[in-house]
Amino acid sequence: MIGPRCVALTGLNTFVGQRLAERLLALPEPPRLVGIDLRQPLDLEGRIAFRPLDLTRATADGELATMLADERVEAVVHLAFRSSPTANLEYDHELETLGSLHVMHACSAAKVGRLVLASSTMLYGPNSTNPNFLHEGRGLGGHADAPGIQNRVEAEELLAHWAPRHPDVQVCVLRHCWVMGPTYSDHVVRYFDRPVVPVVLGYDPLMQFIHEGDLVSVFEKATLESHPGVYNVVGRGVVPLSMLLALAGKRSLPLPGWLLHRMPSVHSQGQAGDLPEGFFDYLRHLWVADGERGWQAFGEPVYTTKEAWISFVSSRRTERFD
Amino acid sequence: MAQGPDTGEDDGLEVLHLALSDLRRKIRSRSSTRSEPLGSSEGLVDFDWQSAFDELRRRFGALGMVERSAEVDEFGMDDASLERSRVLLDFLMDRYWRTTVSGLDTVGSGGPNLFVANRSGLLPYDGLMLCHAIERWHPTRDRPRFLVADWLMALPFAQPYLSRLGGVRACRENADRLLRTGHSVIAFPEGMTAATKIFAERYRLKRFGRGGVIRAAVENRVPIVPVGIVGAEEAQPILFKADLPAREIGLPFVPVTPTFPLLGPLGLLPLPTKWIIRVGEAILPDDLDPGALDDELLLSRLTEEVRERIQELVSEALRHRASAWG
Repeated sequence: MIGPRCVALTGLNTFVGQRLAERLLALPEPPRLVGIDLRQPLDLEGRIAFRPLDLTRATADGELATMLADERVEAVVHLAFRSSPTANLEYDHELETLGSLHVMHACSAAKVGRLVLASSTMLYGPNSTNPNFLHEGRGLGGHADAPGIQNRVEAEELLAHWAPRHPDVQVCVLRHCWVMGPTYSDHVVRYFDRPVVPVVLGYDPLMQFIHEGDLVSVFEKATLESHPGVYNVVGRGVVPLSMLLALAGKRSLPLPGWLLHRMPSVHSQGQAGDLPEGFFDYLRHLWVADGERGWQAFGEPVYTTKEAWISFVSSRRTERFD
Repeated sequence: MAQGPDTGEDDGLEVLHLALSDLRRKIRSRSSTRSEPLGSSEGLVDFDWQSAFDELRRRFGALGMVERSAEVDEFGMDDASLERSRVLLDFLMDRYWRTTVSGLDTVGSGGPNLFVANRSGLLPYDGLMLCHAIERWHPTRDRPRFLVADWLMALPFAQPYLSRLGGVRACRENADRLLRTGHSVIAFPEGMTAATKIFAERYRLKRFGRGGVIRAAVENRVPIVPVGIVGAEEAQPILFKADLPAREIGLPFVPVTPTFPLLGPLGLLPLPTKWIIRVGEAILPDDLDPGALDDELLLSRLTEEVRERIQELVSEALRHRASAWG
């Protein structure tokens, strides 16, 4: 099977964007790469065609469509999502929801054959009525208190509305769980990257991670091969939060849920960065996804949940002793 | 420590230990000489509080599941904490509730079974005991999972403990997945209504959900095994329900039992009634009409049939027992 000859990455400056670009360039017959973002990552300079674009501009769809048509792009990987929540809710909405809409419109206008969209299993929402394993067909409940999550839910809803009207664009949605690994960093990783981790008193949910390398492999396969549909991208196995912390030699600080919810300042004082509202619900209820469909399509992940966690923990240890 | 440069870390620790125990002995001897004129007994001073404390912590830690194994299965069941709590479960089953179990030998062991039982009491002791009984006496020795109502799984502290002991949130997706992967499942289709039933309504089975049991059995082709549990109703009798402070603590209502708000948390302990678990004849998947999946009336009739079988098992056990205390 012949992969796309030209691939565009919107959100090149993200973790997955840079790693995916490196992986694709390392292929024996690399496709031509078009990187689209606000700024160019330095180490990719000169190796790919970079096009600056602000997806939050009202005319971004037209500009993007021209770019895609000019370069004769055959596959678009849309990664332009924030890795950490922001207090600027308006900008967040413009980028995550409308930015995605612009990418969709540009894809159909420029006759792009394939669109790969990064999503998250967080969109299912933490809920005490979740079954132990969430299937791809489960509705996206999101989280009422987390605008960042709601924006991405809205983006997926727009996609679900748009995709059937444009059957010539093959859409692949990759919903991945929390990512762990030696180099990956986002607000979740920063949250766990400390000796004392606040947890919700009386709850010990099963957690699920995917290793950063496995995540990039899945994106690579989704870009090169034909996998239409929605996939959960998760590691094998589940581990209770308490066991993860014990494995890492971290102490847990159990605080009652109402305290964690009513004192957002605890987050910043605990140097957790800006945690989104409702973050602790993800440490309280189940939101484990069923990865069977993804494993069948993209192959077995190299790291299990536990191994991904250990890979993250051990990398931080060596960092500290450097 | 003036040791040679080749001394390992262990030697240094050894020296430190010696110095510490020396110091301890000195302090002890001083305190004992001081207390001697007061006439206190020698034995009390020599008692090694520290090791006694460690021993206590070890024992209670085992009960409280402080230590965990390194692996749980995909539903969060933890073999190590199960192994440790087995002593407690055995005690509850044999000594505390003096449970008699009958009919388990007739249950097929060819594959997973769907056990269906009557539910009683707020806390799921009945599920735990039935689980334990099946594991002990069923030929396959395979531990089934018991389904737990949503609100109980959302309750702080209940959730981690129940899932480590094999409790799974009651929903069709979970039951299907368990049956598909070869685990037997215990379902309590009465659900919430039974757990919150007051004492006056004891042993009268409530409506059996919306046919989920039949659907699960037909779709996964597993036998339904009706089970009647007697004794659990009197172990946690609810005299009446108070709903005033309930919402604040996340409960649907506050149960008032002969002991509960009166004795504080101690009142949550179940009473030592005599338990009888009767396992009835299985309903094989071939006996169930697959048409029930599309025919709601047939579905509810079959569900009602299962309910009646369990009611019979319960009533029969009630007729044969002398009193709730056995």
